[in-house]
Amino acid sequence: MDNWFKEHVDFPLIGIVVLLTLIGIASVYSATYDAGASIFFEKQLLWAGAGLLLMIMVTMVPLRTLQLLSYPLYSVSIMFLTIVLITGKTVAGSKSWLGFQGLGLQPSEIAKVTTILALAYYLSHRHVQLYRAKNIFITVSIVLLPVLFIILQPDMGTAIIYLGMLLVVLYWAGASNFLMLTFLAPVAAAVASLFGITPFVIVVALTLAILFLLHENRFFSAIVFSLTVLVGVSVQFIFGKLPLHQQKRILTFLNPDVDPLGAGYNVIQSKIAIGSGGVFGKGFLKGTQTQLNFIPAQWTDFIYCVPSEEFGFLGAFAILVLLTIVLFKGIYISSIVKSRFASIVAIGIVATFAVHMMINIGMATGIMPVIGVPLPLLSYGGSNLLTNMIMVGLLLNMYANRKEY
Amino acid sequence: MEEHYQPTSRKIFFYTFFSALFLVFLFRLAQLQILYQDEYGKKSEENSIRALTRDPIRGLVFDRHGILLVDNRPSYTVTMTPAEFDTSRIAHLSEVLHLDVEFINDRLNKGVAYNRLAPVKIKRDIDFRTLSMIEENRDKFPGVHYQVELKRYYPTKARASHLFGYTKEVSDVQVSTMPDEYRPGDIIGASGLEARYERALRGVKGFEFITVNARGQLVSPYNDGRNDISAKEGDDLSLALDGSLQAFAESLLANRRGAIVALDPNDGGVLALVSKPDFDLTAFGSITPTEVWNALNYDSTKPLFNRATLTRYPPGSTFKMVLAAAALQDGVISPQWGVNCTGAFQFGSRVFKDLHVHGPTNLIESIQRSCNVFYYQLMLKTGFDRWTRYGREFGFGSPTNIDIFEENSGLLPSEEYFNRVYGEGKWTQGYLISLAIGQGELGVSPVQMACYAMVLANKGHFHTPHVVQRIRSNQTGELQQIPFDTRQLNISNFVWDLIREGLYRCVNAPGGTAPLAKVEGVNVAGKTGTAQNPHGKDHAWFIGFAPFEQPKIAICVLVENAGFGGVAAAPIAGLCIEQYLYRELIRNKPIAPIAVKANEHGARTN
Repeated sequence: MDNWFKEHVDFPLIGIVVLLTLIGIASVYSATYDAGASIFFEKQLLWAGAGLLLMIMVTMVPLRTLQLLSYPLYSVSIMFLTIVLITGKTVAGSKSWLGFQGLGLQPSEIAKVTTILALAYYLSHRHVQLYRAKNIFITVSIVLLPVLFIILQPDMGTAIIYLGMLLVVLYWAGASNFLMLTFLAPVAAAVASLFGITPFVIVVALTLAILFLLHENRFFSAIVFSLTVLVGVSVQFIFGKLPLHQQKRILTFLNPDVDPLGAGYNVIQSKIAIGSGGVFGKGFLKGTQTQLNFIPAQWTDFIYCVPSEEFGFLGAFAILVLLTIVLFKGIYISSIVKSRFASIVAIGIVATFAVHMMINIGMATGIMPVIGVPLPLLSYGGSNLLTNMIMVGLLLNMYANRKEY
Repeated sequence: MEEHYQPTSRKIFFYTFFSALFLVFLFRLAQLQILYQDEYGKKSEENSIRALTRDPIRGLVFDRHGILLVDNRPSYTVTMTPAEFDTSRIAHLSEVLHLDVEFINDRLNKGVAYNRLAPVKIKRDIDFRTLSMIEENRDKFPGVHYQVELKRYYPTKARASHLFGYTKEVSDVQVSTMPDEYRPGDIIGASGLEARYERALRGVKGFEFITVNARGQLVSPYNDGRNDISAKEGDDLSLALDGSLQAFAESLLANRRGAIVALDPNDGGVLALVSKPDFDLTAFGSITPTEVWNALNYDSTKPLFNRATLTRYPPGSTFKMVLAAAALQDGVISPQWGVNCTGAFQFGSRVFKDLHVHGPTNLIESIQRSCNVFYYQLMLKTGFDRWTRYGREFGFGSPTNIDIFEENSGLLPSEEYFNRVYGEGKWTQGYLISLAIGQGELGVSPVQMACYAMVLANKGHFHTPHVVQRIRSNQTGELQQIPFDTRQLNISNFVWDLIREGLYRCVNAPGGTAPLAKVEGVNVAGKTGTAQNPHGKDHAWFIGFAPFEQPKIAICVLVENAGFGGVAAAPIAGLCIEQYLYRELIRNKPIAPIAVKANEHGARTN
C-alpha cells in the first residue's frame, strides 16, 4: 500500500500547493484585517477546503474519462460564457460573474480547465499535425472562441492568460519555430511600436534575422515579415489617431510612473509596500501599506505585496521559489507522461500558472504593466482557487497515470 | 512512439525560460527590498505618518513687582478639516459663522495645499451661541470642529495697548518668508512687545504624529505617541514697568490726547509708557473683527498711533537746558553770565517776545522762570553748531532704541540741514532764535524727552530705555537679563549741578513755572514747556525727576492742545511721581482743579 501511494501520489507537490494556499489565506487575512477580515478569511478557508476535496476527486478520474468528457465540458463552459454575457453581474467593469444563490462564479476561470482539456484532446489525435493549416486553425480556434467571449466581457487579463497558454501548448505540441514566429512577431511588433520607433525597428530586424536563420519558404517568410511590419505601423497609426486621453491611458499602462495618482498609483504603492518590507519584513499584520489600505485590490490582484511587506525579502523569495517549483514539477510531469493528452494537459496547466505568475508578480514589482490577474493559489477568490485546485488535481492525475497511454 | 514525442530541446527551453523568469523576479525583489529598502521605507512612512502641529502657549508678561500683566485665556476656535469637509455645506456654514464663502474657500484651498488632514482654523473666539450651533449641527458640517485656543487676556487695569501690542494671524507674505516657522492660521506678534519679543514669547510648536490610512483618515496615534514632540511654552517677560503706575498714568490722561513716559534713571527701565487715546487690546485678543479695525484706523484721534514714541513735536522750553549745557560746558559763558530781560528781544527787524519781564536773569534763574530773552542771546553767543552737537549728545535727532519697534527719530536741525532745506545763505541767524527756546523745526518724541529727563536726573548716564528687564525660560527656569547700552554724556559735574539747581527751583522756588509738580515729602525737579502748534492750542510738556537728591523716576508728560505745560502737564507728572514713590496717592484729591492765571503760573515761553 505504501508503495502504491509512493508510486502514484506526488506528495511534495501536494505539500507545496497546500503551503502556498495557507500562505495565501494568511495574506488575505492580513490584507482584510481591518475590514472585517473574518468574512474574507473564512470564505477563502472554505474555498480552500472545497478545492482540496475537488483536487483529490480530480486526481482519481481515469484519463480515458477525462478525454471523453473534454469536448462536452468545453461546450458547457462556452455556454456559460455566453450566458454570463447576457445575465452576468458586472464586477469592476467586467461582466464576468454568474450568481448562484449568493455564490458568485466566474465561467472564465473554470473554462481555463475545459479549454486545456479540449485542446489537449484535439492535439492528442494521431492525425492532428501542426504543420497542417486546417489543424493549426482548429487548434487556435479552440482557444480563440472562449477568448472572444472573454474579450466581450471585457476581461483583457484573463484573455491574455488564454493566449499565453495557447502559445506554450503550440510550442510543446510540436509547432515549428516558423509558426511560433508567425504568431509572436506581429504581437511583439505591436507592443514595441508603442514604446517608440527604436524598439519597433529592433523587433523588425530580429524578425528578419530569425526568418533568415529558419530557411523557410521565401513566400511565407515574406508574408510573416510584411505582417510584422504592417501590424507595427498600423498600431502606431491607430495610436496617433486616438484621442489624447486614450493615448495617455495606454502610455500609463506601459509606464505607470507618468500618472502617480491615477493608473500608476497601484504600482507605486505596491512597489513601496514590497520595497519597504526590506529583508525581514515588518511583521505579520504590521505592514503599514497593507494595514492602512494603500494598495487597491491587495487581497486579490496585489496579494503578493502583503507577504512581501510583512515578511520581507525572505517571504517574497520563499513564495517565488515555491511557485517556481510547481512550474518545474509541471514541466517534469508533462515530459515523463506517456500519453500525449496527459502531456499537453500538464503543459497547459504549467503555462496557465506561469502566465498568471509572470503577469501578477511582474505587475506587483513594477516591471510589467498593470493587468488584473490573480496570483495562483494565493489571491482571494473562490472560482480562481477552485480552478487552481482542479488544475493541481489534474497535474497529480497525470503523474499518477504517467505510465498510461 | 507517443511517449517520446516531446523534443528534449523544448523541455530545456521551458526549464530555461522559467529559470530566467525566476532570476528576473529574484533580481527585482533584491533590488526593491534590499537595495532600495531605505528609500521605499521612507516613502511608506511618509505615506502613513502625518505630523499635526500643536500650538505652544504664548509667554506671559509680568511687571517689575511680579504682577501678571498679560495672560492667556481659553477661547473657542472653529476649525475645518479639508479631507472631511463636505463642500456643498459652505454656504450654510458661512451663514452660521458670519463669514464670506470666499473666505472659507480660500482657507480650505490653503489647507488642502498644506495637508488635507490638518484642521484649518476658520474663525477664532466664537461666542457661545455660535459654539452651540456648531455643536448641534455636527452631522450637517462633517469635518467642522472647534478647538480651545488661548487668547490674550489682560488681568490688571493697565491697558498699555501700544506697549504690549497686539497679535494677529500671520500674513501670506510672512508665511512665505518664514515657511519653517509659520503656517497659515498661526498667531504672530504685530506690534509693541508682542512683535519685538515674538521669538521669545511664541514658544516652540509641538508635533503629534498620527497614522493615517490611504484615505487620509486618522487611524491611531503613531507609535503610541512615543515620537510626539510636545509644544514648548513661550518665555515670560519681566518688565521694568510698574503696572500700577502704568494704570494710574493712563487714568490721568483719560479723555485727553498725549503721552507719558517714565523711566528709572538708574538703568533706563521703562516704568510707564502711555499713549492716549488708546484702544482695548482685548478686542485684539485673537482675531480682530474688521469693524473694530476700521473704527480704529479711521478714528480722527488716531488711537493706534503710539504718541509716546512716534510723536514729533517741538519741545518748547524744556529744551533750554541743552543750550545751557552747551554754553557752560564749552566755556562760552561763565555760570555768572546773565541778561537783563526787558520782556522782548530785538533781532534785526524782528522782535521776539518773552511772557514776562524777568529783569536781570542768570542761568539758574533762566531755567527757574523760563526766561526766553536769556536763551535768545545765549543761542547767538553759543552758535548753531554747538547747539546741534549738544542736542545730539542728549540723544535728540536719533532713535533711543527703546525695545518697541515703532519709533520716530525726531528732527534736530543743523547747519547742514538748513543748507539742504533752505539753501546755503538763504537762512538767517533769526532762524536760530526759535530753536533757542525749543520751537521751530525741532521735533522730539516723549520717549526722547524721558531720556533727556533721565540724564538730567542721573547727571549724564544715558541708558538705553527698555521695557523688558529679564526673559524667563519656561523650559529651564533660567532668567536671562536683557543687556542694555549705557553712554556717558561728556558734560562736567558743575554744569549738571547748575542746571539741576535751576530745575529744582523751577518746581520749588517762588517764581518757578512748575509748582504744580510738587509732591509732599519729595523734592521734585523739572521743567515745563509749551510747544507752539499751528493747528490749535499749544501742546503742554513737562519733564522732571524725583527725588532730587537720589532720583528714582524720570518722567516726561505731553498733553496735546492743553495749553501751558506748567498747568496741564506738570500736575500729571507730580501725581505720577507720587504714585510711583509712595506706591499710592498721599494727597486727598487726585487732580485739584486749578484756576489758570497766566501771570501766576503761566509758563508760556515763546
